[in-house]
Amino acid sequence: MKKIVLSILIMTFLVVAIFAGGQQEPAEDSEKVVRVFGAFVDEEQRRFEEAIKPFEERTGIEVIYEGSSDFETLISVRVEGGNPPDIAALPQPGLMKNFASQDRLVPMWPSLEEAIDENYAPVWKTLGSYEGTPYGVFHRVNAKSFVWYPKKAWEAEGYEVPTTWDELMSLMDRMVADGYTPWAVGIESGGATGWPGTDWIEDIMLRTAGPEMYDKWVSNEIPFNDPVVKNAFSVLGEIWMNPKYVYGGTNTILTTSFGDAPLPMFFDPPKAMMHRQGNFITGFFPEAIQANLEEEIGVFPLPSIDPEYGIPVLGGGDQFVVFNDTPEVRQFVEFLATWESGESWARSGGALFPYLNQDLNAYPNEIERSLAEALVNAKVFRFDASDLMPAQVGAGTFWTGVVDWLTGRSIDDVLADIQRSWP
Amino acid sequence: MKRIGERRSSTTLVVTSLLAVLVLIWSVPIIGLLISSIRPKSAVQSTGWWKAFVNSSDLTLDNYRQVLGGSSYTFVDSAGNIVRASGDNLSQAFLNSLTVTIPSVIIPLLIASAAAFGFAWLDFPGRKTFFTIVVALLVVPLQIALIPILRDYQTLRLTGSYLGIWLAHTGFGLPLGIYLLHNYISTIPRDIFESAFLDGARPMVVFSRLVLPLAVPAIASLAIFQFLWVWNDLLVALVFLGGTDNVAVLTQKLASMVGSRGQDWHLLTSGAFITMIIPLIVFFSLQRYFVQGLMAGSVKG
Repeated sequence: MKKIVLSILIMTFLVVAIFAGGQQEPAEDSEKVVRVFGAFVDEEQRRFEEAIKPFEERTGIEVIYEGSSDFETLISVRVEGGNPPDIAALPQPGLMKNFASQDRLVPMWPSLEEAIDENYAPVWKTLGSYEGTPYGVFHRVNAKSFVWYPKKAWEAEGYEVPTTWDELMSLMDRMVADGYTPWAVGIESGGATGWPGTDWIEDIMLRTAGPEMYDKWVSNEIPFNDPVVKNAFSVLGEIWMNPKYVYGGTNTILTTSFGDAPLPMFFDPPKAMMHRQGNFITGFFPEAIQANLEEEIGVFPLPSIDPEYGIPVLGGGDQFVVFNDTPEVRQFVEFLATWESGESWARSGGALFPYLNQDLNAYPNEIERSLAEALVNAKVFRFDASDLMPAQVGAGTFWTGVVDWLTGRSIDDVLADIQRSWP
Repeated sequence: MKRIGERRSSTTLVVTSLLAVLVLIWSVPIIGLLISSIRPKSAVQSTGWWKAFVNSSDLTLDNYRQVLGGSSYTFVDSAGNIVRASGDNLSQAFLNSLTVTIPSVIIPLLIASAAAFGFAWLDFPGRKTFFTIVVALLVVPLQIALIPILRDYQTLRLTGSYLGIWLAHTGFGLPLGIYLLHNYISTIPRDIFESAFLDGARPMVVFSRLVLPLAVPAIASLAIFQFLWVWNDLLVALVFLGGTDNVAVLTQKLASMVGSRGQDWHLLTSGAFITMIIPLIVFFSLQRYFVQGLMAGSVKG
């Protein structure tokens, strides 16, 4: 008996060892393969793969995309460990700057730079550059400064889309008078709780202090507790701290997950009339709403506060950077810089693209078309500040600061704390 | 006599009911998870799982269908048609997980039992020192070893291969394995070994004929630990094996199933039950040894 057990164990071990020998060589050295690593997964991955099929068919180059929800951790580990992908799609410019400062990235070559200059607004090239050298190519992007509303309820009450902040405030008062709650807000997001709040602040900063101040704020040329930042918090406080304006009051803001936050708009009758969030939020709407998006949902950009700055758009996006310089990789990145690489994804929905020469008719519904239009035509576009700031702040104290503020700390204390945490 | 018996049964009753309450409290979240897994997305998002008892008409196996058969995607193909396709099912991931897990359990078990025997019963210089080092390694988190090992693997061309991840799991699992088995093996009565050595048995024979069979309870409980750890591991697999479809393990598939922004988190409920199947089988088939193994060395025989 004992012998049998032992021999089985030894046999398994041997078989395993032989099997392992056969598994050792992954098909990495095959010449016409481009390995891409990114943060988007599941359906988005499938749409990306579909969008790049024309390239694969034309060139015979195989593009292998690997997505992981733990992308931020893994890319650093793999690069440090000497196992970087050929191309990585970085969601945060900070990551790109890290890698660029360590000389890990291949800078843009002239033909690619030409394509970028031709197909994108200058802001995208700046966002993909480190110390004047461009590295990153933007593909799918998102825009966040949008207010969503239940169309049918609005039509029934005769509400009109506000174009200025004053109109927005008076509309909110009218909603309260009609017995509604204007806003549905939720900032819970597990370990990242607070980020939807930082987006609000950023949007208001752009509208009250303007893009130049915004840039100084992001680079900490003005301290975090500067009066302009405090002002942005006060403007937001007028809405958030007023229990009449927000569904459930501040407690609900804190405990509602950002994905569930828009749901009160779809209760019957609606419990809230507006929700401010990026274009991706439609994926969280109930299926019945998603099926009739155009009839059920309306959207408008968050109105301007100071007319001088117009209606700026806040957003983000994945930039593709090159780690291994091969002819195939170059071909693929140049393809990504063209509208052709996004068209199929735009048709599938759920994605916006920054290309100047894009065909807006490709977007599947009126809503995404108007978002894409707002994005391309925005005079001022700024990247999500919390993604640009150092991680200690942008993915740390800024998030928690918003939470502290909601739980009752004064704006001054919160801002001073954030400033102190700046590395 | 009778009174003692009565008192006993009333104590038993108290203990039993207390245990029953504890078990109930313990299982409430699991029952909630199970019920959530058979509710549709909209219901999971809008009301608590206990509401399912009030309105039981909308229960569905859809979540299981999506997890097993792959969630359905829509995209537009090159001809402009809207395609509704379903993603990869989990069978490949199941296979990958088994390929990773089985050797990652067997290899460290063999090495750890041999090492434990050596540390417990063989005399060699530096025995205590080496054993202390091994035990000290228990407190070193594996995360700090990821990058150095990945670098070495790059040179050895082991990244992305199954052998690489087996070795990684073996290394990470050994300290606990050696420590646990050492505790058990060192309690085997000395007389047994002495008589075996007197009969002229070499250490290898003693190990295979005496130690391995006698240590089966401890080995089995260690096997359960190691199996659960490797089966549930996400980080090590992502770093050393990568996440492309042909090697992605179950945990990676599950993690990506919720979507880039977690919008499909309701699928995690059914996903949890599906991935639980194999660990449950392993646990129940080794359970008998598990209890014995935990008691290992608690009473000197």
